[in-house]
Amino acid sequence: MPVINSIAAEADTLTAWRRHLHQQPELLFDCVKTAAFVVEQLESFGIAEIHTGIAQTGVVAIIEGREPGRTIGLRADMDALPMEDLSGTEHASKIPGMAHTCGHDGHTTMLLGAAKYLAETRNFAGRVALLFQPAEEGGGGGKVMVDEGIMDRFDIEEVYGIHNAPGEPEGHIVTAPGPLMASADEFRIDIEGVGGHGAEPQESVDPIPAASAMVQALQSIVSRNVSAIDKLVVSVTQIHAGTAHNIIPGTAFLAGTVRSFRPEIRDLAEKRLREIAEMQAQVYGCTATVTYHRGYPPTVNHTEQARFAAQVAREVVGPENVRDDIDPIMPAEDFSYMLEARPGAYLFLGQGDTPNCHHPQYDFNDAIAPIGASFFARLIETALPLKS
Amino acid sequence: MPIVNRIADYAEEMKTWRRHLHRNPELSLECHETAAFVVERLRDFGITDIHTGIATSGVVAIVEGQGEGPVTGLRADMDALPVDEETGADYASEVPGKMHACGHDGHTTMLLGTAKYLAETRNFSGKVALIFQPAEETIGGGRIMVEEGIMERFGIEQVYALHTDPSRPLGEIATRPGPLMAAVDDFELRLTGRGGHAAHPDTCIDPIPCALAIGQALQTVPARNTDPLESLVVSLTVVQTGSATNVIPETAYLAGTVRSFDPGIRDMAEKRIREIVAGQAMAYGVTAELDYQRNYPPTINHAEQTAFAVEVAREVVAEVVDDSVPSMGAEDFSYMLEARPGAFLYLGQGEGPFCHHPKFDFNDEAAPIGASFFVKLVEARQPLQR
Repeated sequence: MPVINSIAAEADTLTAWRRHLHQQPELLFDCVKTAAFVVEQLESFGIAEIHTGIAQTGVVAIIEGREPGRTIGLRADMDALPMEDLSGTEHASKIPGMAHTCGHDGHTTMLLGAAKYLAETRNFAGRVALLFQPAEEGGGGGKVMVDEGIMDRFDIEEVYGIHNAPGEPEGHIVTAPGPLMASADEFRIDIEGVGGHGAEPQESVDPIPAASAMVQALQSIVSRNVSAIDKLVVSVTQIHAGTAHNIIPGTAFLAGTVRSFRPEIRDLAEKRLREIAEMQAQVYGCTATVTYHRGYPPTVNHTEQARFAAQVAREVVGPENVRDDIDPIMPAEDFSYMLEARPGAYLFLGQGDTPNCHHPQYDFNDAIAPIGASFFARLIETALPLKS
Repeated sequence: MPIVNRIADYAEEMKTWRRHLHRNPELSLECHETAAFVVERLRDFGITDIHTGIATSGVVAIVEGQGEGPVTGLRADMDALPVDEETGADYASEVPGKMHACGHDGHTTMLLGTAKYLAETRNFSGKVALIFQPAEETIGGGRIMVEEGIMERFGIEQVYALHTDPSRPLGEIATRPGPLMAAVDDFELRLTGRGGHAAHPDTCIDPIPCALAIGQALQTVPARNTDPLESLVVSLTVVQTGSATNVIPETAYLAGTVRSFDPGIRDMAEKRIREIVAGQAMAYGVTAELDYQRNYPPTINHAEQTAFAVEVAREVVAEVVDDSVPSMGAEDFSYMLEARPGAFLYLGQGEGPFCHHPKFDFNDEAAPIGASFFVKLVEARQPLQR
């Protein structure tokens, strides 16, 4: 059972939607035009129950099947990135400094394609909740939608999402039960000393040795505090201090990111980072202020739902094109909040050898949109089979 | 199907063997008395095809089954550790400074128990090669036995071994396909500067800041150079320098260990450690002599043989873990697994002091379980051809 014929027949329509969205990228929670376009399409499919303004510009639409049954959530993200579109395509972004370089235009299109098919056929028992969310690339729109109560309000029992995957062969679907993507925390350490003349260090409290010592000691969290079997990244990605050759700066700051897959390891990393920053500052007579922001939690697939989704994927793209045992990856994803709220699975859909996500030349591969839409549609028909 | 009845019947006898071995620990390749005891028991069982002096004091004995069939190698290690025993047992080590703190006395006993049953019953086709090796805790007696050609000489096709585990409940068997234990490499580093009076550092080349800088920079090998999905430990475990408050020392001595599973990560770690040492030495004007020794390779279980051993284990014991978390410890059975397909398994002996601890003692109740596992493995792999 490959791509659904009636969806394949709509491939040009899907491409037109996708390219329209690509030309008008919007950032964070400000997905006003994108949401309006989504609503317009959903209405044209005959979907009546549409809820807007969730997480500011998020949309939840309900498709009723022919028979009563459970409700399953399908999620697409809608937001773009604050960067230039260097794809060189005719449908490149018309808005300077904003670009759909993570393929959320494609994700939205795939979910619209599934919605059109499901609204026309309704060959399932239960309901589909289409979740169009803003602010995946910062802001955690997925978390806000969960916090605003969509899971309870719409009785959603399971959730599924797809992300396109440059580098995976076109049309391959890959996932894994358990940890799939990392948590992503951010930190900033502000160090305060006493500035002065570079020739008279004795009159100053130099924050630079303190910053250096901190960076050295932070290495030991990964190398000494965590089992080699566990997975943790602590990256100091910014060091800023000073303005001139002959001035000892009064302050310095470090910033970076912490990635992990397990809550215990995440807690340990934050605790050690705070201890190291504060104590190293004290050693050098400075003070340190740690700002630790917990970003997206790890994306952890539920085993049963991941196995089920992989089975559906095998029917759509062929068993030889599906893997359900991939290694986890260190980037993060706010679908993690939905997977914390409900059982479900997140899958990657290969789009062939293209520039990677967040690269200015990245463009979603329109050839995979009917595959993703077919996967979503078959998932619903398989999970919610008609009884008669 | 729990412990084999016939083995349960001579559990007391096995206990006397184990306690005799426990009283008489021997180190490294010099397991002569242990080997002599092993040979004496094997002869008692009617086994005649016994080969001694392999890897100095290792023993290989062949038990013939009935009819043609494959040859399976079962391995036990015999050597003890340079530890002063603190168990207080009435069968405690009689040799000061040596003790069986890793349960090799128990491993040898389990394999002897297996040999007794197999020699008496011979309910299998083909042959079993009983491999008693020295020097697991030191220079790789397992490697030497492989290098001396035991696999070819005795036609061994597959190899299996058990290790007692004091972190698991008695009778639980645990393993996993693929990497189970890490590769271990060791390094020693001597830094030479120019010593002198601590009041005149300008006339010296102080090796201490260089040693500290190396220690700091080594942290970045796991933290910055290793794929976070891979596993690597770099532990600097020895830093020794200096003798007085007012003397800048001439030299500093550092040593440590490196643990990994993946050959690429292992190569990378050695390369980075060499670069860090050379670079920091140059930065501080010190000369560095680095001795980097590659020791045991990772212990990698073969998937098919592991699945088979797990199936056998499920017939013998109630609790079997087939996805045990890999350990960063190391094991020289790895060389046998490089030479032949096979599997290494842990046998729980109940929770107690950990291996290498002076209060560790092998639990005699585990021995009949391990022997039952070995004999069932042989009988399942090499059934009689009727």
